[in-house]
Amino acid sequence: MSDMYQHRLDLTMATDRSKDFFPLLQQGILVPCRTGVTLGELLRDQWGIDAGYVKTRITTIFLNHRAIDDMEQAVVRDGATIALSGAMPGLVGATMRCGGHLAAMRGAMTHRDDTDDRSAHEAPVRLKLFNLLLPELGPFLLQRGIIMAAAELTAFLAHRDLNFWQACYGARWDGNVVDPHLLAADMEAYAGSSILLRIKNED
Amino acid sequence: MLRWPQNKGKEKESMDKIARIDMGAPGGPKVTEEPVGAYAGLGGRATTSLMISREVNPLAHALGAENKLVIAPGMLSGTTGSMTGRLSVGCKSPLTGTIKESNAGGQAAQVLARIGYAAIVLEGKPAGDDLYKIIVNKDGITVEVDNSLKLMDNYPLIAKLRTQYGDKVAYMSIGSAGERQLLAASIACTDPELRPTRHCGRGGVGAVMGSKRVKAIILDDAGCKMRPPKDPEKYRDANRKFVEGLRKHPVTGEGLPAYGTNVLTNVLNEAGGYPTRNFKSGVFEGAAKLSGEAQAELEIKRGGTATHGCHRGCVIQCSGIFNDKDGNYVTKQPEYETVWSHGGHCGIDDLDTVAKLDYMDDNIGVDTIEMGVTIGVAMDAGLAEFGDSAGAIRLMEEVGKGTPLGRVLGCGAEITGKVFGVEKVPVVKGQALPAYDPRPIQGIGVTYATTTQGADHTAGYAIATNILKVGGDVDPLKTEGQVELSRNLQIATAAIDSTGMCLFIAFAIMDQPETFQALLDMLNAFYGTELTGDGVVDLGKTVLSAERDFNTRAGFTKHHDRLPRFFYTDPIAPHNQVFSVPDEELDQLFNW
Repeated sequence: MSDMYQHRLDLTMATDRSKDFFPLLQQGILVPCRTGVTLGELLRDQWGIDAGYVKTRITTIFLNHRAIDDMEQAVVRDGATIALSGAMPGLVGATMRCGGHLAAMRGAMTHRDDTDDRSAHEAPVRLKLFNLLLPELGPFLLQRGIIMAAAELTAFLAHRDLNFWQACYGARWDGNVVDPHLLAADMEAYAGSSILLRIKNED
Repeated sequence: MLRWPQNKGKEKESMDKIARIDMGAPGGPKVTEEPVGAYAGLGGRATTSLMISREVNPLAHALGAENKLVIAPGMLSGTTGSMTGRLSVGCKSPLTGTIKESNAGGQAAQVLARIGYAAIVLEGKPAGDDLYKIIVNKDGITVEVDNSLKLMDNYPLIAKLRTQYGDKVAYMSIGSAGERQLLAASIACTDPELRPTRHCGRGGVGAVMGSKRVKAIILDDAGCKMRPPKDPEKYRDANRKFVEGLRKHPVTGEGLPAYGTNVLTNVLNEAGGYPTRNFKSGVFEGAAKLSGEAQAELEIKRGGTATHGCHRGCVIQCSGIFNDKDGNYVTKQPEYETVWSHGGHCGIDDLDTVAKLDYMDDNIGVDTIEMGVTIGVAMDAGLAEFGDSAGAIRLMEEVGKGTPLGRVLGCGAEITGKVFGVEKVPVVKGQALPAYDPRPIQGIGVTYATTTQGADHTAGYAIATNILKVGGDVDPLKTEGQVELSRNLQIATAAIDSTGMCLFIAFAIMDQPETFQALLDMLNAFYGTELTGDGVVDLGKTVLSAERDFNTRAGFTKHHDRLPRFFYTDPIAPHNQVFSVPDEELDQLFNW
């Protein structure tokens, strides 16, 4: 196990159930990473997102609620919150754009690094995905794994409907096969722990 | 010198006439028609603003006989061109006291343009209590008394009119709010499904229509043809390239069709620029529940749609249909501004409540931004708790009933704030601020403060300097240049508002020079001109100059180009910023 989580839950789901996890991804999930790197390095090198995709599709980025103009300069540190979005409409949408020429209109909330600290740690960061990036990046990141508190995961699973469970083809807890229908109840025993949740899609 | 080519009547234009309807003529309303004359080759906001600036006394009472209501389709409306369905309505605003242009989608622009009118102008004011409807078709215009329509709200009104005039027409109407001349009253335009969902919302234009006792305008283009371009082949080719550009761009081709404008909720909230509980904070804890992503999923799950066009010829399809949990129609997909004004601004995180209030806005006929902000101000006054959905609906019901409280609320945020002693009221020139806080996003604050229209987010909406080559590039890391950016955007928007094009083309045009060129090619092919980007700039400046001149003569000075005091003194979380663009810089915006 990692310092970032104590248990692992692997679910095998039908592909079209990924959207059940989208509300979690919107509100923000913890993703394992090694901090002290630039945002560009994190997305491409650690998380394996295609460089061309990063450049052309992830056009609005926030780091700790501040708009990013150059992801090769912005350093991700412990406790960071990263939000990724596709292109936004309208004046303000264009203003938020990464490296956009309307950036001056939101200069007050533009990210600027005020320290040279590049110390590296294995630590989770909070990641939010919005709009077009949800269906495009969501399944990929869910497959890599997200970290959830046991209570949070228990609550999430407890609210799934029958269709969700019918589309769940299998579950493994710390590598051992378990009955997915009993997961919500079983996890109460692990209250207080953090769990790496990975979703494998299968049709 | 205006480098926007105008025909000057040498060749017959398809929108070749203006109709003036004197509602106060002795013996009853009188219709006269005249050639388009000096307004040939113009459209939309160019027509309305130039006409109001030239013909209306700026000191006139906005609800009096001297004011005029100018209704004008855009330059390319009524053609086979895509995205050309915007209708502009202009007057002196009873809400702000400034000149006003308010525009909407729906079918009205296309139909009016095909009938051949460059503008319909409502003038004068009738004595007496009669209510009128106006029928416009290829044979002319008739004005009829119809008191059976009194105090009807828009949905039942349109249902009743459809039994008489059918389903192959377009309707414009006011609800009870317009008849009561409430300052937040809007003018509704029907969408392709004949629902009164597209509104000329801002500035109380519905009250002006109500002051002239006009309840509805029925537009019937039976027997009319699409407006013909001077060069049909070039027009078709340019339109094809224009559509290609819109479809391939991620905003116009993917994001807006999938999520609508409410795609902005999550992003604005993340940026800390989502005004919450009457501009007390920039982050709303319930934003994800209100997001475009959540809304789209809910709409699809309930049998509605998240992809729908507000007028025929729209390829962006940013609208949708919102049903209740039983699959019954509630309202069109609420826009970002509506979801914010009735949602986070009021501390409400329930989409069903927002949808209900959106329906009520459309039905009663009020500006969704003004009403949402007003309800938030009313909550600050203690008339309801922030987050109280039932309370918000109750306050809106007062507006619909025309009670004394409802009349106060229906006259907007500034008056409501004054009546109930609220200190922090987010308005500029009397008009409520839209859904972007100006403290973290200072550039939008520049636009709010300086636009001729009162606080308005669409006034400086479109097109970037690199396309129009106006003002050069601005260093994004410097706060200098905000005024220049806002100026350039306002100029460009004024021009776009004149074409009849939906403003949401802006992002595709900004990113893709070939798409902007395709737009120019459409205009040139239609009018037989050789327009360039300089001509676009000239048109925008001409329109803004006319608006600014009107406002100056109406008594507005640089001291009105400011935000409310609390934006300068109250930092907003999470960035702890105040609005800090110096007054001297704001005063330089209109520097031509």
